[in-house]
Amino acid sequence: MTQGRSSAPIIALEGIGKRFRSGVEALAGIDLAIKAGSFVSLLGPSGCGKSTLLRIIAGLVPPTAGRVVRAAGDLSQRLGFVFQEPTLMPWATVWQNVYLPLRLAGRPPKAVAARITETLASLGLSGFEQAYPRELSGGMRMRVSIARALVTDPLLLLLDEPFAALDEFTRFRLNEDLLRLWQRHHWTVVFVTHSVFESVFLSSRILLMTPRPGRMLADLPIDLPYPRDEALRMAPHYTEQCRRISGLLREAMA
Amino acid sequence: MNGRFVKFVAPLAVGLLFILGWEVLVRLERIPTYVLPGPLLVAETLWRDGPSLLGSLLVTLRITLAALAAAVVLGGALAILFSQSRPLEISLFPYAVILQVTPIVAIAPLIIIWLKDQVFLSLLVCAWIVAFFPIVANTTLGLNSADRNLVDLFRLYGASRWQTLRYLRLPTALPYFLTGTRISGGLALIGAVVAEFVAGTGGTDTGLASRILEAGYRLEMPRLFAALLLLAATGITIFAVLSWLSRRLIGHWHESALWPEE
Repeated sequence: MTQGRSSAPIIALEGIGKRFRSGVEALAGIDLAIKAGSFVSLLGPSGCGKSTLLRIIAGLVPPTAGRVVRAAGDLSQRLGFVFQEPTLMPWATVWQNVYLPLRLAGRPPKAVAARITETLASLGLSGFEQAYPRELSGGMRMRVSIARALVTDPLLLLLDEPFAALDEFTRFRLNEDLLRLWQRHHWTVVFVTHSVFESVFLSSRILLMTPRPGRMLADLPIDLPYPRDEALRMAPHYTEQCRRISGLLREAMA
Repeated sequence: MNGRFVKFVAPLAVGLLFILGWEVLVRLERIPTYVLPGPLLVAETLWRDGPSLLGSLLVTLRITLAALAAAVVLGGALAILFSQSRPLEISLFPYAVILQVTPIVAIAPLIIIWLKDQVFLSLLVCAWIVAFFPIVANTTLGLNSADRNLVDLFRLYGASRWQTLRYLRLPTALPYFLTGTRISGGLALIGAVVAEFVAGTGGTDTGLASRILEAGYRLEMPRLFAALLLLAATGITIFAVLSWLSRRLIGHWHESALWPEE
């Protein structure tokens, strides 16, 4: 139901290129339209410019060629970004960290308390409101980081290898929680990862990228039905997809 | 064995041993008191001259605390100004360095002449010059040390310059500022004493430095030592209070302020 909700692209990239001041060409000729409500993974080896591309989509980095077309409406207030590290403010409690985007938008705490409570609960953080980041495990910190990105009820959620530093068990749990929330809230997700297994498990569409300079190698729809859960990780059609994409990547790198 | 207990007892034992050795040496060698008084005599003098020395200590302490307060306010304000304008930082920072590296004994006479009618103010200015640099340098560093990704996040959410300062740069800078303040606390005391030394013994309410000079001229070594002892105790107290304050303010999140066992 989520996937077919709207066919209009929420964001489109036209001929995007990026050359750093050092002269390194990070991206070249990227054309891409992302449909509202889709879960898109940017998959590729490190150095293929996928994080740079995500930052260009977010508007944090200007491209040196091409243009970014954003859907009508003010997307900047409806954007969520999750970094590779939890990137929390160490002096602030979990509650204050999640409140941050709303505070910056000028919302008084009383007016948004219910929403923060609800967001924290949806990520299993109830009871940790007054904890400081250093008191939490890596997985819990990442949950806070995701809660902070979700508390503004974003239209577009950008995640830059958010689970790369976590152990496998924690990563699987967070994968499933993220999918569950995505199906409930219908945001559009762009997810950067270098894990074939993770991208196939999560995505409705995978964009394969190759490095030096970063280019689109393939645009692959993943037609595994949602909801997806733990059982899928052992299913033959899942592993078959993973094998196919790994093969494509290996071919491209050779 | 409790770690904190050892941390407390070990230096205390060293101190007691040192004092014991000192007393024994003075007695065995029959060292005259105008060369080196024994610790017992110093303690006795401290007890006897205590009230009058405490009065002088109060004078020095007033200069020290006023200089530290001025260093905190002006140093902190200057650092915030620097963090808001890179050109301003580039143009002013070298002069802060010059002020810092110029020996205070060399410029103190000038300041005392320029502000000749205002003894307190001239001493305050001298102590402030010594004390303000660590706060400026540390706080500036802290304000510019905000996590790159957090800076990006603030930008993403359209944070104003003021919001970024208030919610990101200032909290990031707090531990740096407190470290600077702890260094400045000791330096303010040193600055105050040096300034008093340069100013000489004139005036009615004289500080501890003047008492030390006076005692030196009169070869009253026990009193000189007693005054020194008070001075050292004051320095330690300032450091301890600022450390305590630091722990109170950032102990719940910053690594530097955590107890080792936590």
